[in-house]
Amino acid sequence: MSLEVINNPLFVTIQDRGRFGYAHIGVTNSGVMDEYAYFWANKLLKNSLDTNILEIAFSNVIFKANENTQISITGADCEFFINDEKKELWQSYNIKKNDIIKIGKILSGNRVYLAVFGGFNIKKEFGSNSVTIKENLGGLDGNKLKKGDILPFNSSNFNYTMKVKEEFIPKYEDNLTLRVLFSYQENYFLDEEKKKFLTSTYLVTNDFNRMAAKLSGEAIKCEINGIISEAIAFGSIQIPSDGQPIVLLKDRQTIGGYPKIGVVLGIDCFKLSQAKANTKIRFEEISYKEAVEEEKRFYTFFS
Amino acid sequence: MIFKVVNCDSFIIYFGDLIDDKIALDIKKAYLGIKKLNLEGVIQIIPSYTSIFISFDIFEYDFETLKTLIEQNINLELDEIFEEKIVEIDVYYGTEVGFDLEYLSSKTTLSIEEIIEIHSNKLYDVYAIGFLPGFAYLAKVDEKIVFPRLSTPRKIVPKGSVAIADFQTAIYPQQSPGGWNIIGKTAFELFDKKLETLSPLNVGDKVKFNPISKEEFLAKGGVL
Repeated sequence: MSLEVINNPLFVTIQDRGRFGYAHIGVTNSGVMDEYAYFWANKLLKNSLDTNILEIAFSNVIFKANENTQISITGADCEFFINDEKKELWQSYNIKKNDIIKIGKILSGNRVYLAVFGGFNIKKEFGSNSVTIKENLGGLDGNKLKKGDILPFNSSNFNYTMKVKEEFIPKYEDNLTLRVLFSYQENYFLDEEKKKFLTSTYLVTNDFNRMAAKLSGEAIKCEINGIISEAIAFGSIQIPSDGQPIVLLKDRQTIGGYPKIGVVLGIDCFKLSQAKANTKIRFEEISYKEAVEEEKRFYTFFS
Repeated sequence: MIFKVVNCDSFIIYFGDLIDDKIALDIKKAYLGIKKLNLEGVIQIIPSYTSIFISFDIFEYDFETLKTLIEQNINLELDEIFEEKIVEIDVYYGTEVGFDLEYLSSKTTLSIEEIIEIHSNKLYDVYAIGFLPGFAYLAKVDEKIVFPRLSTPRKIVPKGSVAIADFQTAIYPQQSPGGWNIIGKTAFELFDKKLETLSPLNVGDKVKFNPISKEEFLAKGGVL
């Protein structure tokens, strides 16, 4: 009762909502980069929303089902096949023993999410299955999936499938606006620098991984060189000495000493996670009150 | 205590703006005090040199409520007497594992033996943990052995390497790239998945390094 990895994929990791409560000893939060696609994948299977899932970056991944189950697939638009038959995303599918599931080229977005009914039966490490490679934690062996890996699940049979309504399927476009809370360190930046930050267009660079997204564009000047190292929130926008913003994401270091101009709203970081290199980014200020309301709306929608 | 909003679900409390013992003690007091409150819905409490970061469930709390709760319960004016936890760590300070010992000695008037003596004589405070799981920032080293980071970081620093960067010293809990000056090596585990507590060191603890011979180091499972 398992899913077997048939080829050597470039970068597929097991993820869930992340590992919390260990950051004080240097363990990062980890977790899925795009919670929107993740929650939908679990919702399609009526899984509990924190069920583990496969996060697939880069094309060409082949799995074989060793038993009947139901799967769902969401996230980046990609060529998706079950037994060589092309299928749509944002749906659940009934899978029979020996079916071959293939993810080909990724067409838009960065990360595809593949879930199985009930999740994979893998022992959690410190409360989570999320893989953080640099910490060698989570998943099967603290690493990305490789050919021959076996992902166990409980088999089940279904006589229905489900599909996400068209209006909820995101389009991963070339322009993205990220809402920013100017908060605790904004005083290290002059008003004109903040204005520059809000009126400029930045590009997503290739320097983009599970830890952070580096942007390029108008350099932002900070009044200080660095701060005494302190804990870093999800979505923090660091301004290093070259002035090019870095948005810190799920595998960020737990503490660091770069000044931060603000924090990107968590739910907007999920969109950023799907942005390809050269996507145009604009920042928009949001108030604390609005930000809390927006976050609550997102999580209430899925609860 | 100065409270500042970070994000919808997090804030930071500042206790000062420089690295010193008095601030570190306040942080330890507040950190243990906040933990003791056992607030359901508080997700993470992360202490560092001058601050404590707190993240929380936005469906349980808002910033103002949590801030008030903490202000009412944490009293920095009261002196609390802590049971001091001193963690002793055996270090082999040989030049075959302390790659930078000879260079550091050549840069100063100190012999290798003097560097070792100065480094192992002091009791260090754990100011922060980060960079890698179990990577504890210990300070402050004697000003005679304050050395800047390497201008080009090493691609590989072996697990267990004991190092100095500026006024701080630390042990690499796992193999990693790194730019600190390496002066020795330990077989002591800084992050052990098999242990319930994972990390034997916590912010607020103290660390003492004990020099040991190559034979003792190897007998403890040390690898050259």
